[in-house]
Amino acid sequence: MKHLIDIESISQSDILDIIESARQYKNGQNIPNLQHRTAALMFYENSTRTKCSFEIAGKKLGMNVINFDTAHSSLSKGESLKDTVENLYALGVDIIIIRHSLSGIIYNILNQIKCPIQFVNAGDGTRSHPTQALLDFFTITEKIKTAEGKKITIVGDITHSRVAKSNIKLLSKFGADIHVCAPSYMNFKNPDIYNITYHQDLKSAIKDADVVMALRIQNERHEKEGYPDSAEYKRLYGINSELFSKYAAKNAILMHPGPVNTDIELTAELLESKAGETILEQAHNGVFVRMAILNNLINQKGEG
Amino acid sequence: MLLKNAKIVNPSNNYEDYADIRIKNNNISEISKNMNPENNEKVMDLTGKIIIPGLIDMHCHLREPGFCAKETIKTGIESAINGGYTAICPMANTNPVVDNKETLKYIIDRAHEVSESGFYPICAVTKGLNQEKITNISELIDNGAIAFSNDGKPIENMYLLREALKYVNSQNKIIISHSEDSSLSEGGVINEGKISEVSGLKGIPSIAESMAIARELEVVRSISGARYHFAHVSTKRSIELIRQAKKDGLNITAETAPHYFSLTQEDIKEFDSKYKVNPPLRTKEDLNAVVQGLKDGTIDVIATDHAPHTLNEKLLPIQNAPMGMVGFETALGVTLTFLVHTKKLSLIEAVRKLTYNPSKILNLENQGDIKTGGEANLAIIDLDEEWTVNAANFKSKCKLSPFEGFKLKGKVKYTIIKGKVYNAY
Repeated sequence: MKHLIDIESISQSDILDIIESARQYKNGQNIPNLQHRTAALMFYENSTRTKCSFEIAGKKLGMNVINFDTAHSSLSKGESLKDTVENLYALGVDIIIIRHSLSGIIYNILNQIKCPIQFVNAGDGTRSHPTQALLDFFTITEKIKTAEGKKITIVGDITHSRVAKSNIKLLSKFGADIHVCAPSYMNFKNPDIYNITYHQDLKSAIKDADVVMALRIQNERHEKEGYPDSAEYKRLYGINSELFSKYAAKNAILMHPGPVNTDIELTAELLESKAGETILEQAHNGVFVRMAILNNLINQKGEG
Repeated sequence: MLLKNAKIVNPSNNYEDYADIRIKNNNISEISKNMNPENNEKVMDLTGKIIIPGLIDMHCHLREPGFCAKETIKTGIESAINGGYTAICPMANTNPVVDNKETLKYIIDRAHEVSESGFYPICAVTKGLNQEKITNISELIDNGAIAFSNDGKPIENMYLLREALKYVNSQNKIIISHSEDSSLSEGGVINEGKISEVSGLKGIPSIAESMAIARELEVVRSISGARYHFAHVSTKRSIELIRQAKKDGLNITAETAPHYFSLTQEDIKEFDSKYKVNPPLRTKEDLNAVVQGLKDGTIDVIATDHAPHTLNEKLLPIQNAPMGMVGFETALGVTLTFLVHTKKLSLIEAVRKLTYNPSKILNLENQGDIKTGGEANLAIIDLDEEWTVNAANFKSKCKLSPFEGFKLKGKVKYTIIKGKVYNAY
C-alpha cells in the first residue's frame, strides 16, 4: 500500500498480508527492523488507544516516532496543513499518522502536496477508521477463525461512527452477515447504502450473533438538536449480561472500540465479566496490526 | 456594420431563419435578407454562425465591494462578456451589502467604467440581509435597482417576507427568493444521500429547498397578484411544487443553473470543493426533473449563479471551503451540450430561457430581443464547434470550474454590446 486511507482503497491481499504479519509479530516472529524510518503522529482529536498503539508499534519496529504537537505547532500561526506536511517531509518524516475531525482530510492534503510522504488514517471525522477495522478483523479471526457467514451485529451510534463504517466495509469483503441496530437518530439516513440488515429491536439484532460490537456514542459529533439523552438510549439499546448471555450465540464475542461509556452502551457488570475481556484484547492486538501496517507501507507492498 | 450570412434565432418573435443585420451607431438599423454593404461599411461574414440576443444573467455574484480577491466588477463583466452576456444582474451580498443608494451608485459607476454592457443590480430586500428592516425600496429603484433579493442569506421570517413582498410588488418590482430552510441545511456540505453518508460529510437534504418553497408559495398565495421568482431550483419536489402553483394561477417564475442539468452528486471528485455549491449537486432523478421543468415551462430561466472564490478558499477542506462555482464562461456551452444537442430542448427554447424570458421577468429594455431600432446587444455563436473547458483561460479571477476538461459542443464567438464587437475565446 502507498497509503492507508480507507478500507475501500486497499486490496484483499493487503488486508490478509497485514493480518498474517500481525499474527507473526504477536508470536514474536519475523519482526522487521525499520531503523532510520520516521513516523509522525498528528492527532487533532483526542486519543488514548490509537495514538499510544501507533507509538509503541513504531518503536517495536525500531522506528523514530515523533509526536507532532497539534496544539502548539505553527498551525496555530496559520500555517496550512499542506505546508506543515511538506515541511515534515523535508525534515525526514516518511509516514504521517493522522487523526482529524474532518472527513476526507487526507484526500484534501494529497490533492495539494507534491512530496511522496505516506499517510495512515487514524480516524477522519465520521468517515473511516481503517486501522480499527483491521484490528477488529484480526481479533475476530483469532477468536472465531473467520468472518465468513458469521452474524456480526453492530449496535449504537452507527451514522456518526467511522469504526462502524470501516468495519462494515471490511467485514463485507470477507463475507460476514452484518446486522446493525440503532435508534433512528443514530442510524444511516439512507438505508440502501450497504448490504446489511437493520434492526430496531436489540434482542432480534443480537439473537444468535457470533460477534456483538457496541459503539461509543459520539456526543461530540452530534448536531446541537434532535437527540434524547443517554438514559433514553440505554433503555432500548444498552447491553447487559443478561441480554448478552440469553440472546447472543454461545461463545459469542463482545467487542467495543473504546472508550466505553460504562453503564450506557455496556453495563459495568458485563464489562467485568468474562465476556468483557475481549475489549482489552482488541487494544492489545492493535499494536501488532499497526506494526504490520507500518511495515507494509514502508515496503509499499501491493498496489494503491 | 453589416452582419452577413448568419442564421438568426430570436425567441421574441419565434424567428429562426437566415437574415442580415445592419448596425448603425449603437442600434440595429435594419434586418433583412441579402443586404449589400454600403460605402465603407464593415462586413462580418458569419457563414455557419447563429445570431441570438445577447445572453442575460439574472443571477450572479461579482463580489465587489468587499471581496475583490474573489472577483471585481471589472473581471466579472469581462468574464460575462466572454461568455456571451450583454446584461447581468449582480446579487447584493457584498460588503457593504447593496442595501443603500451609495453602494448601489458605486457599483453602477464601476460597471460603467468597464463597459457599456447591461448592468442591473439586484438590491437587498432587508438591511444588511438581516431578518429585520426592509430597505428603502423606492429610493433604490430610483437609483437603478432592478429587483430585490436576499440571495445567500434567505429570508426565513415569513411575516417579514410577506410584508416585503407586498411592498416590493407595490413598487412594480419582484423579489427573487433563495429558498432554503436553514434548520434543515445548516452545516451541510453536499446533498444528503448515499454519497454524503459514505463520505462522512453532513448532508443538505432536498427538503431544505422544497420546504422553503412550499412555505413561500403559501405566502405568495396569500397576496393577490403577487409576483415572485425562485432562484436556482434544484430538486424534483421543488419543481413539482412550482408546477402546481403555476397551474393554480400564481404569478411566479423560476430559474435553474447549468450545473443542475449537467452534474449530479456522483460527479463530485474525492472531497474536491470545486463541486461545493448551494444548493448542492443533487441526484440523477433531480437532474431529470430539472430538465423536465425546463421542457414544460415550469422553469423559465437559465441563470448562472456565477459565484467566484479564491483558489486558496477552494483548497480548504470541503467542509470549510465556501460554496459556489463560476458560470459565465461555460453556461452557453453547457446548455447547448446538455440540452440542445441532446434534443431535450430546441435551440430557440434554450435561447428563450437565456435571453428573452429574463428580459421579460425583469422588464429590461434593449435586451433579450433582436429588432429594428433596438440596441445591438447580441451574441454570435457556433452551434457545433467543439471545445475543451480550460478554466485557466477564464477572464474571471476564479480559474476553477467543475466543467474543467469537459468537451463541450457549441461556443460563443462574439459578443456585441451596443454595436461594439468583443471576441470571445
